[in-house]
Amino acid sequence: MPDAPPVLRLTKVSKRYSSTDGGGELAVLQEISLDLQSGESASIVGPSGSGKSTLLNIIGTLDRPSSGQVLLDNEDLSRLDENQLAAVRNRRIGFIFQGHHLLPQCTVLENVLVPVLATKEASLRSGAEARARRLLARVGLGERLTHRPGQLSGGERQRVAVVRALINQPKLLLADEPTGALDRASAEKLSDLLVELNREEGVTLIVVTHAPDLARRMKRVFELRDGKLE
Amino acid sequence: MTTRTLILRSLRFHARSHLGALLGAAVGSAVLVGALVVGDSVRGSLREQALERLGSADAIIDSGDRFFEQDLPARLENSVVAALPKRNMSDDLAWGVPMSGAVLLDLPATAVRQDAAARANRVHLYGITNCTFFPTGNLLLPGTVWLNGTLTRHLDVRAGDSIIIRISKPAALSRDAVISSRNDSSVALRMTVGRMVQPPGRQFLENFGLRNSHVASFNAFMNLDELAKAAGVDGRANLFLPFSAYRLHEPSPAQHWWKTMREVISQRRWISPRAAPQIPYSVPVTSRETVDAIEPRLAEAWKLSDAELTVRMTQSSISGINAETNLTMVELNTRRIFLEPPVIAAALGYSKGGAGNLPDGTGVASSIIATPGSQQGSAPIPQGGSPALLASGASAPSTPGATTNGIGVLTYLVNLIRVGERAAPYSMITATGAPWVPVDMADDEILVNEWLAEDLKVRAGDRVELSYYLADSGSQLIERTNSFRVRGVVPLKGLHADRTLMPEFPGIAKAESTHDWDAGFKLTHKIRDQDEAYWKNHRGTPKAFITLAAGQKMWSNRFGNLTAIRWLVPTNTSPEVLRASIESNTRANLNPEDVGLKLEPVRERALAAANQGQDFGQLFLGFSFFLIGAALILMAMLFQFGVEQRAPEIGTLLALGFQPKQVRRLLLAEGVVLSALGAVMGVAGGIAYAKGMLWGLSTIWRSAVGTSPLRYHAEPMTLVIGAVAGTAVAALVIWFALRRQARQPARVLLAGGEVQDGDGKSDTTDREQKVDLPIHTAREKAGARWSFAAIGRIGWAGLLSVAAALGLIAFAFATNRTSHAGLFFGVGALLLMGGLAFSSVFLRRLLRHAGAVPSLGELALRNAARRRKRSLAVIALLACGSFLITSIGAFRLDSDKDATKRSSGTGGFRYIGESSLPVVVSLNTKSGREEFGLDEKDLAGVNFVQMRVRDGDDASCLNLNRAQRPRLLGVEPVELQRLNAFSFAGFAKGFERADPWGLLAESHQDGAIPAIGDAASIQWALGKKLGDTLEYTDERGREFKVRLVGAVASSILQGSLLISEDSFKERFPSETGYRMFLIDAPSKDTFVPNLTRAMQDVGFELTATTTRLASLNAVQNTYLNTFQVLGGLGLLLGSVGLGVVVLRNVLERRSELAVLLAVGFRRRAVQRLVVTEHGALLLMGLGVGVLAALVAVLPALLSPRGEFPVMSLALTLGGVLVSGAVWTWVAAALALRGKLIEALRSE
Repeated sequence: MPDAPPVLRLTKVSKRYSSTDGGGELAVLQEISLDLQSGESASIVGPSGSGKSTLLNIIGTLDRPSSGQVLLDNEDLSRLDENQLAAVRNRRIGFIFQGHHLLPQCTVLENVLVPVLATKEASLRSGAEARARRLLARVGLGERLTHRPGQLSGGERQRVAVVRALINQPKLLLADEPTGALDRASAEKLSDLLVELNREEGVTLIVVTHAPDLARRMKRVFELRDGKLE
Repeated sequence: MTTRTLILRSLRFHARSHLGALLGAAVGSAVLVGALVVGDSVRGSLREQALERLGSADAIIDSGDRFFEQDLPARLENSVVAALPKRNMSDDLAWGVPMSGAVLLDLPATAVRQDAAARANRVHLYGITNCTFFPTGNLLLPGTVWLNGTLTRHLDVRAGDSIIIRISKPAALSRDAVISSRNDSSVALRMTVGRMVQPPGRQFLENFGLRNSHVASFNAFMNLDELAKAAGVDGRANLFLPFSAYRLHEPSPAQHWWKTMREVISQRRWISPRAAPQIPYSVPVTSRETVDAIEPRLAEAWKLSDAELTVRMTQSSISGINAETNLTMVELNTRRIFLEPPVIAAALGYSKGGAGNLPDGTGVASSIIATPGSQQGSAPIPQGGSPALLASGASAPSTPGATTNGIGVLTYLVNLIRVGERAAPYSMITATGAPWVPVDMADDEILVNEWLAEDLKVRAGDRVELSYYLADSGSQLIERTNSFRVRGVVPLKGLHADRTLMPEFPGIAKAESTHDWDAGFKLTHKIRDQDEAYWKNHRGTPKAFITLAAGQKMWSNRFGNLTAIRWLVPTNTSPEVLRASIESNTRANLNPEDVGLKLEPVRERALAAANQGQDFGQLFLGFSFFLIGAALILMAMLFQFGVEQRAPEIGTLLALGFQPKQVRRLLLAEGVVLSALGAVMGVAGGIAYAKGMLWGLSTIWRSAVGTSPLRYHAEPMTLVIGAVAGTAVAALVIWFALRRQARQPARVLLAGGEVQDGDGKSDTTDREQKVDLPIHTAREKAGARWSFAAIGRIGWAGLLSVAAALGLIAFAFATNRTSHAGLFFGVGALLLMGGLAFSSVFLRRLLRHAGAVPSLGELALRNAARRRKRSLAVIALLACGSFLITSIGAFRLDSDKDATKRSSGTGGFRYIGESSLPVVVSLNTKSGREEFGLDEKDLAGVNFVQMRVRDGDDASCLNLNRAQRPRLLGVEPVELQRLNAFSFAGFAKGFERADPWGLLAESHQDGAIPAIGDAASIQWALGKKLGDTLEYTDERGREFKVRLVGAVASSILQGSLLISEDSFKERFPSETGYRMFLIDAPSKDTFVPNLTRAMQDVGFELTATTTRLASLNAVQNTYLNTFQVLGGLGLLLGSVGLGVVVLRNVLERRSELAVLLAVGFRRRAVQRLVVTEHGALLLMGLGVGVLAALVAVLPALLSPRGEFPVMSLALTLGGVLVSGAVWTWVAAALALRGKLIEALRSE
């Protein structure tokens, strides 16, 4: 469906940091443009400090570009205020961090359901728990619903984080070094899971990673170098 | 999963980190609840004490030195019962307020142990009889006196011991009158102390008292009849305490049904409500209801004899054309010698409404009687009304006819009747109308009797001179002389030989010879044999007659202006009928209040005094303000620390799509739950805190509450209010602390939230961290100098605060309100805010400033600026505490300071004297001193300012009750003005003047009497402000207002209001003599023993003014102590806060400090770095607090009573500094212990 509008479109996105004493600017991202269709998967690789996470944060509305445009579902995110951006993050974007960032006080099931609390949309709320249970069973954690993060392994925690990212059925799933804190076996398992979910759930996936294996498993691979996407 | 689940899970998971915040909330709430409970306890104790003082009395008739018949209460009770509406004619049940009561005789007294080893002045001696109110069971036998515990302990006596009780014998005529017995003024009674018998659980004899004061008084109780007899008021009393425990009323159908159902349940048998008898429903009555129920009945029940009035018949003979005929007259006179204007108006038949409209004072009689040639004077014929009177505008007589035709009689003692060289001493002269004097007699004419004409060899047309003392000139004995032309000579028989024209002058009337007279003054003129013979044969028969107008012009006085009113019996009626008619008419026309029989709702007043008393709840809230503040700031700090630790969690929520406000709400909800839990804990803690405070008030702070113990009382609603308020305040503080949370970007928070305060908003600062570039603004680079542009909004706010504070200080000086507490707090708060704002700006600049190679100290200072809010919280805590301690030190009062200066609180007087019994002479005169056996040598250089006293509530800070009607002191304003005594703290608007005491002599358009009081009394004890008025009732039951026109600063006058002596005498004419004395004396106190010994019979007590002032100041100083202790606790919490901050800062930066070790710093140097960093906070906190305090107390310091305890303050602040440094050192040592270098590895 080449004519379908992309789920995500970045047009000349730049990010600069300038010092207020007039000491010059530091360009982290330079006029990055990118289109991703629904269900596509992409990985962004590059050396440390190249701006991978900054780019992911801009895509995930956790940061704003200095210039350029980010369109999600053809909607210009720069026109949205903080509350609207929060709603976008909640309903249309799923985040997976290097650190799982699960709430230690909540059980596995509760952690997955936390994003549901942020919305008042009945359609999302209804059936959320069933969906959570299904997804958790899908990632092999059906028996660990009442366990707390402290009782899980690193890989299991990250799988919970993946399910949490999917609970509101987002169109875009962003993963920032998802396997960075995992051992090889766990990393592989998680990579498999991400690829499967991308395929099964039809969610667009962007992975920022240092891991070449994981990067290669994505349909498109981008390298960020000197602030430019290649 | 719900929001509630998430909150509860978070609370449970973070319980340990919340514990500190929970404790902080609990402490804050405990102090808040505790302060309110202290208020409850003081209020409850005062209520308890008020009810104990009054027993079951609802109301009171306190007739003072007027004595009613002891059977008045019985008559009143019968009248009340008779007036109760009956449900039906055959029913005994009545609806309404039944009444009972107790009758007492209340006299001031002194009590001395038999061996004179102990003496008690200002004893309340009560004559009581067995009744429901005082169920003495007839055990209080004659010769026995019961003493309350306070008096027993003071005298150190036991049952069976003998004591001497001296009472002031009530005089028929005020001892301020010239003709008043002096020798018989007091009587000593030797009594045996008996064992007080009271029903179990009823201790009100112990605490019985009518003044709204919680300070225990000396109470003694005697048999009523015995005391009345000893005092010369047989069968009379001056106190009546009616009480009505309940009101009966017809039940409503619902009440009847409910009552019947209760009967059904209790008797377990069915009773139909229709068939059940209607039982009166009783409800408790208020004091006011009792008064309202009884007052109308009092008007019916009282008799003229209750007002010491007598209506009697007199017989005279007059010479007719053919023979002598007997002339019967009816006379109204009084045991009090002079008839007062309301009585005269009533007796002459003018209705209550009319009498009320008549001009007050002597004018009444003058307009009625003294007009020469009026029908009143010229035609003693019992018919018609008085045209003169009717023309005066008064209402028509309620009983037209006989009663309006009374003839006024004023008989007075003249010292000398002189014609040239001849003179007759000490003669009675009667001023009256026809038939004693011709109708057309002029006011400068006199009729002399034949004895006097013979004695002085005078004839018609001769001139005689009458010399006499002004009737109410008292011990001053002001003599006047008037000249009269002899109109004629009357025979010494018939009408002109009526010895009953002379009233029963005390000390004279019953004397057998002139030499036996106790006239109240020294008889200086020689009494000849013929004078003695005249007295023997004719007693007080007047030797001459003048017109009433002439007599009243000379002898009218504040006690009255007639000695009798006489009525000729008309031919068409009998003397008995006329007498009865006059009696009933006078009673009907006279309000009982006019003669001192006024019902007052004493219980209502007492409870009002207790309820409106010093609000210790608010006081302790104020005292605990900084403690609460410190606890809450500490709580907020700890809570915020906990939240900061959860930065990734907050970042996660934000990244998952939570809005920042949603996150803040979640955190706030946790805070609210914590606050509520803390408040619940605080209720328990508050009760303990309140008990601790009450213990403090009963022991170390006893001076603040006087002698009465305070008992714990807590209203459930108070606890609820305290808990809710505690929750709300804590939640508010948490909300304030959280309001900037979750504003940092999620990505920053996810990274651990390591962002410095106030930064991180712009990409620039984010990058500062990331790339570690030293970034300086061009503005800062331009120079390190402060500039207006550089200080920012917070700096501007600080500048505005300081400017407002300085403006307030200028206002204080301009309006002479330098002692205003609100001003102090206002200025203090503004300066603290300003100081904190400047501290904030300073810290911000420190952070942005960078030198080339910072020294260790500079590095420490910059570190202090990194967590700016945290540092500011510590500075705020310390600033508040040091502000408190500094300012309190400056407000402490020293009674000895400038004590000899007129402008000081002592007024420059050395002693203040108080007597139990009145002193009727001037102690500044030779004769007055001689009265007490003192000569000039004894009192060389001693000068007295004498004051009259109308007892009332103690309006000093020693009385916790709200004074309703404070004691009034009558003083000669000129004397205090001449001495320029005391400093004035302020004046009512429009009353500012250079001679402030002169304000007392001014008359106000609305009739209010100007008064001056102590500033503290007015503000705290009365709850009034300058310009306000207080309602009083005078001796004749008339309401009048006292306006507060001026306030003296922190003085020995605390507790009373001063009015002019003239106003005092006008309102309380019977209040005899002086009972308070301000004494100027030489520096040597040699006169003191002589003076106290000479005046011991009047219960004279001397107190050094500095001692009195110290006892009054003790209250304020104790409050300050309390404040200081609680402030110290606040500062302690501040120190703990500092320790917490140190610990936290160091723990957060362990790796950073480890780097310092790694690059070669010694551990001690690192520790010094940490201590220096936090020492800077300590110094800034103390600096801001002390500076703010010094400026805030500047107005008070510059006032006349201001002082500054430099040494104690320096010690206190030094202590705080040391304590803060110790906390910092300990916290730094704790945080830096262990292998710090390992922190690098974990990094």
